[in-house]
Amino acid sequence: MKINPPDSYWKKDVVLFFSRRFALALKFLYPIALIVPVAASGIPPQYGAAVVGIVALMAGTFGAGESLTTDINDGILVRLAMTPRSPYRITFEILAVNAVLDFLQLLPALIITYILHPAPAIWLAATTFAVFLTLFAANCIGIFIANFTTSPADVLLYATAILFPLIYLSGFFRNRHPTGALATIRDFIPFSYMNDALGVVFGLRGTFTPAEIFVYPAIICALVAAAVCLTGPKLLSPRT
Amino acid sequence: MPPVLEVENVTKVYKSSGRGVEGASLQVERGEVFGLMGPNGSGKSTLLGVVSTRIKPDEGSFRVCGLDGVRERRKVRAKLGLMVDRPTHYGDLTAWANAYLFASFYGMDEKKAERALAELFEYFDLAEYRDDKAKTFSYGMGKKLALIEAMAHDPELLLLDEPSVGLDYTSQLAYQRKIRDLASSGTAIVLASNQVDEVETLCDRVAFLHRGRIVTTGTPDELISTLEGLQRVVARLRVPVEYDPVLEVEGVRQVVTEGRDLVIHCEERSGIVADVVAALVRAGGDIVTLSVRRPNLEDVYVKLTGEALRDEDQPAG
Repeated sequence: MKINPPDSYWKKDVVLFFSRRFALALKFLYPIALIVPVAASGIPPQYGAAVVGIVALMAGTFGAGESLTTDINDGILVRLAMTPRSPYRITFEILAVNAVLDFLQLLPALIITYILHPAPAIWLAATTFAVFLTLFAANCIGIFIANFTTSPADVLLYATAILFPLIYLSGFFRNRHPTGALATIRDFIPFSYMNDALGVVFGLRGTFTPAEIFVYPAIICALVAAAVCLTGPKLLSPRT
Repeated sequence: MPPVLEVENVTKVYKSSGRGVEGASLQVERGEVFGLMGPNGSGKSTLLGVVSTRIKPDEGSFRVCGLDGVRERRKVRAKLGLMVDRPTHYGDLTAWANAYLFASFYGMDEKKAERALAELFEYFDLAEYRDDKAKTFSYGMGKKLALIEAMAHDPELLLLDEPSVGLDYTSQLAYQRKIRDLASSGTAIVLASNQVDEVETLCDRVAFLHRGRIVTTGTPDELISTLEGLQRVVARLRVPVEYDPVLEVEGVRQVVTEGRDLVIHCEERSGIVADVVAALVRAGGDIVTLSVRRPNLEDVYVKLTGEALRDEDQPAG
């Protein structure tokens, strides 16, 4: 499969991702610099898991929202939308490629964490998948935010407003053992599965089984992705 | 055969500024080059925005090759080639990759895209820069790249917004030749421009827009012939002066400023140029250059609307 010259949005993003070497090095170093010292320290396991989770959330949400608003401001995204290609397809490609590229950036740090905290293979697989789904969901949030603003600064504001309650409900720091409605709500948030799986890697006892971590967040993310793709025509429309 | 573009009573008014386009109707036939002229804010870009499906009209309808422009937007987009007035590209992609991406989005397969793009890059003298990143391109090179992206997929209707602004003389000639070639092969072209020479040379018909409305449509010759017996005296003054005395000269119809120039629309009678010069000198004007020209589309616009085609801060010519 030929990537360059690109014939689709996702290939374009892959080409751009690998075209800036210095930026590329930074992109890989940034998660390592944040996650590895934490993983190597004697920090309580729940906080170790929370730090990895927060880095994933930030990378996904801020990255997608900011790059999209920049492209919207440039006018290039609207120009692309003036072609016959389906806006739903373009939006899905934006979502998928951003999630995969974010995951690639996080993977080295994740592997080092696994080396420092060996866990059963099934848990490593479940954790890796849950991290990917978290990035996927975070990118959905970033794209959703880009529907309402063209300012990268606003993206930070809106993302924080959306992520803080989700972080609370997912049990990253507080609300670690929810009951009643809070427990039900937590089950609908993909980040909580990642947090739980990372907790197991760091040495905690998990709430969910690996099978649940593979299945439930995948279903939730598929639904969220479908909803975000439906915003495609609005996302790619000119802002006045 | 139906017209390639049929616009009927299209209205789009921006709530924020109150500007836009109102009740615009026009038709563009296959192989026709149609010009849209009007000063900034007259509605040219809005009308092009509607026809390009970028902007949804408040009222009215338009059809491209018989397809409904509001209901069948994606099918319409496949028929269009589009160049916006401020083209942007992915700066870290090469020029070729940018153009190839657009060609693919218009459904061209690899071989067809490569053939069409190679030809256009060669034609617009960008072949040796095809592997340079788009961010290294000058404004004019970026415009040429945007022209290539608009033309590569052989559209049935080409929409160009201020295409020649920023192009050097040689590139302008190449672009004009290309437009005539495309028209000869059947492409309909809508061209929004205030470059009078370009519109007179290229366009088969022209519509003038004034404050969002189409005030007249016709061939350049028809429109200019309405000014028979008139001429334009263009005086460049060292320092702007009040030109009231010029308006009092017998036979002077209108005086407008265009950048540093004072354009006097007057009747063709003997001695009128001398009278105009005398009036300018009386007004305290220090004339740097003076020329007497036959009327052009700009003069027609001034006659119809009483306003200059270009803003005062835009250089004339």
